[in-house]
Amino acid sequence: MKTRKHKSDLIILFSTLGLMALGLITIYAIGPMRAQVLNSTYGTNYDSNYFFLGQLRSVALALVAFFAAFKWIPYDYLKKFAKPLMIVALILSGLLWLLALTGSSLAKCELGECRWFNFGVFSFQPAELLKLALVIYMADFIARKKEEGTIGNWKEFWLPLIVVCGLALLMVIKAQGDLGTGVALISIIFGTLFASGISSKQYLIMVAVVLIGAVGAIISSPHRMERVDAWVATISGDEGTDSTYHINNAMLAIGVGGMFGVGIGNSVQATGYLPESINDSVFAIMGETFGFVGLFLVILVFTALLTRMLKVAEYTQDYENRLLIVGVFAWTLAQIVVNIMAMTGLVPVTGITLPLLSYGGTSIIFIAFAIGLVLQLSCYTSREVIVKNESISSRRGERRSYHSSRRRSS
Amino acid sequence: MPRNSIKKDNLKNNNSNVLKHRIKLLKATVFACVAIILVRLFFIQIIEHGSWVAKADEQHTILETITPKRGEIYMMDKGEPVTVVLNQTTYEVVIDPTVTKKEDIEKVANDYVKDYLVNDIDEVYNQTGLRYSIIAKNIPRNIAEQIADSGIPAIWLKKINQRVYPENELGSSLLGFMNSDGIGQYGVEGSLNDVLTGKEGLIKTTADVNKVALSIGNDNVKIPAEDGKNIVLSIDRGLERGVEEISSEIIESSAATNAAVLIMNPRNGQVLAMSSLPNYNPARYSQIEDASIYLNQTTDVPYEPASICKNFAFSAAINEGVMTSDTTYFNQGYEIVDDWKIDNAEQRSSLYGTLTMKDALYWSLNTGSIYALKLLGGNPNSINQQGREKLYDYYHNKFRLGQITGIELFEAEGMIPDPNEGWGRDSTYANMTFGQNVGLTMVQTASAFSAVVNGGTWYTPTVVKGYYQDGKITNPDDIREKNPLIEDKILSDETSAMMRDMLINNRSYKGDRPGFSIGGKSGTAQVIRNGAYDDSFSELVGSYIGFIAPSGEMPEYIIMTKMWGEGQSIGSGEAMNLFDALSGFLIDYYKIKPGAA
Repeated sequence: MKTRKHKSDLIILFSTLGLMALGLITIYAIGPMRAQVLNSTYGTNYDSNYFFLGQLRSVALALVAFFAAFKWIPYDYLKKFAKPLMIVALILSGLLWLLALTGSSLAKCELGECRWFNFGVFSFQPAELLKLALVIYMADFIARKKEEGTIGNWKEFWLPLIVVCGLALLMVIKAQGDLGTGVALISIIFGTLFASGISSKQYLIMVAVVLIGAVGAIISSPHRMERVDAWVATISGDEGTDSTYHINNAMLAIGVGGMFGVGIGNSVQATGYLPESINDSVFAIMGETFGFVGLFLVILVFTALLTRMLKVAEYTQDYENRLLIVGVFAWTLAQIVVNIMAMTGLVPVTGITLPLLSYGGTSIIFIAFAIGLVLQLSCYTSREVIVKNESISSRRGERRSYHSSRRRSS
Repeated sequence: MPRNSIKKDNLKNNNSNVLKHRIKLLKATVFACVAIILVRLFFIQIIEHGSWVAKADEQHTILETITPKRGEIYMMDKGEPVTVVLNQTTYEVVIDPTVTKKEDIEKVANDYVKDYLVNDIDEVYNQTGLRYSIIAKNIPRNIAEQIADSGIPAIWLKKINQRVYPENELGSSLLGFMNSDGIGQYGVEGSLNDVLTGKEGLIKTTADVNKVALSIGNDNVKIPAEDGKNIVLSIDRGLERGVEEISSEIIESSAATNAAVLIMNPRNGQVLAMSSLPNYNPARYSQIEDASIYLNQTTDVPYEPASICKNFAFSAAINEGVMTSDTTYFNQGYEIVDDWKIDNAEQRSSLYGTLTMKDALYWSLNTGSIYALKLLGGNPNSINQQGREKLYDYYHNKFRLGQITGIELFEAEGMIPDPNEGWGRDSTYANMTFGQNVGLTMVQTASAFSAVVNGGTWYTPTVVKGYYQDGKITNPDDIREKNPLIEDKILSDETSAMMRDMLINNRSYKGDRPGFSIGGKSGTAQVIRNGAYDDSFSELVGSYIGFIAPSGEMPEYIIMTKMWGEGQSIGSGEAMNLFDALSGFLIDYYKIKPGAA
């Protein structure tokens, strides 16, 4: 039973489009500097418009993905592929791992981490697909288990969940060395489970286990430990290593921005001082360019986007739809918060993109698709807060399925 | 069943409440994160803004000095300035093995700088921890430009400014050299280093991480460099070359190892030749082991010009009106002053008796010049305070002996003893009349001698004719400010004329070229060892000074020569031979027309 379709959530629509445009402007301003730095340091021959055109292409593809998810691919249809999609995403990640181990040129590696398939003209990061697949899979899986009445059941619920999520985390953190994506995946898992209505006790146990595992993963990797050390060093005022350099220069860019920023095209930090200026560090460059006022507005837009997603979730009657929305919310929140906190020295640098703003094709396309799905579902919210309807509609649904299953078994 | 159903309903309602609560919690999480981030941003961007800007300035700003072009040095040749010291820019190829690709630098090495390699590329790449390494040196500009145009990345060309001395050793002690820090040492390079260096410019600019200047930033500063001045010396290159060649020949044919020559125009103090042999090549100054080779013997080293100083004692007495060339005195071959016996060098018996001062100068008799000192004191029988003070006045204040002359070179001050202090003042002053107990440089001596023969005017000696800019010689203002040219009439015309006559008479036995008036005076000095005269005469320094003029005219040239050798007894004869050879060369070189008389 569905609520009648109505207009989509305009705030989500426009904040998404606005952020994409802002990202494009920023890349337009700092792309030429990036190209020049790479050219003079590594002897590459990037055109000054190279990065802007790249981002333009990515934004165009992201818009296609966004509207495809928003208008053309019904979620009801898409969720039928939840399982195969997850399997494909895991297989792709596994394949990348194999290619990297065999040293194939199809695996594109940077700084020793192999995270991309290399197809010549474009590259593809399977971790991004994995995030989307996991959101859809989690919603579908939990909804199925709910229908089956086995939520919280060890054998029926937790075990398969641990296997699938564990596999995904293994691929991303271990094989690709991508703690940033790992954090996003964990956030998706935490978020959807949180919204699934499992008991607080089970939830807290799960969180505790995952956190212990995460600490273990950090300690076991010297590369990640270095970033933590660098972060501690920056906080405590020690300086000197390459990793502290990144945090210091991010904070320096933000600090130089002051109240109103240095203005478009006047960023000095983007001329090579700040690593990853156009992708992971774009927030810092925006801080330098647009100042506190600019960042405040950007954060305001992000906050609007996030809270609107929660609002849509709140008014969505369908259980599975709601889980998906919360999943996308958790994913977006994780990327925004971890990226910004890393740039401001609040958490160690993990190498995570800022949704919709960072340069990087795969990332923007998949997050745009995910937000597009939320926008699609925003057309089906009820006027009433979910909780009231929830009890009625889900009871009805539950009962039916409950009885039918019962009937079958009896 | 109903019980079960109620239970389920409760669960559902609980569940609904839990969910409602949890969405709120998620919202709270969003706001908490946003709050933390905003507070943090406020802290960094507003409160700490100033300190981050300061840090950014430190990181982004490059201060670069613009090195001015060092001035070139010219000598005169046939009335035209010719370059004797110039600049050349060469380049070094520098790589960073951690950035530069090995095949790139190998390509550069093979295609462009094969002949200039200074380091083995394999070795550079095999060593770990090596950053910037020089691969090739002394690369001329055209090859450096080819490398720059080739577009091969991560190859740096470092500009090196080199000083080039196209005349090699010519006038080395006069010119000096530029050391590896770009600072002039010795000679003109050293004394006029500031003028030659010019003023550094400054660039303060915001730069990218590779230190490439950006157009971003409001407080970019550019102060252009002020290039050093091109200096034209009064030195005549052809004359200088002739002087050095002839000096070398005379050194070869004698026991002397060193010779110093100073030729100047007595009418204005301009130095036309200045040499101290042996020379060295300023471009390879570092290969010289004995630093005394760098010294300009005509300005840096005081010595005793010996009997040459008799000219100054005689001039003083004549100018004071107490003596003429015909004044007579009784020569007994020696004089006792302060219980100290002073002998004449020339002891032939025919000189015993009454002699004119002209004869005394001709034979260079010490007793004669001591007599001049006595006359200055107004008492022909003994030396007194008035005599000492008058001699000091002439030596120190008028002839400016024992003083910096003001020539545009490093100078030693030298020394003239005080007339009223110390023990044995009379014997000291008796010695001073024949050039002992003093420390004088050649340039002091020659300047004083100029005044003696030019009509009595002392001119500041000078080696700088002017600055050279756009084909024009201009007045070297800032040099003149420091070294003003002084003109001081110290002797009467008559005194000077009488001295010239006596000096010409000195050479009457010579048979100089007809149509020329050449006058001169020799000096042979003992060397002071450990503060006392070496009476063994095992080492002597010979000097000669003289003037050249067409007969009946005023002197146009003064030549002073000095010859010596470590442990060698070089009399004034060698120095006079050098003078004779040089005066002949000079007349030919300048094609001086003989006078009518």
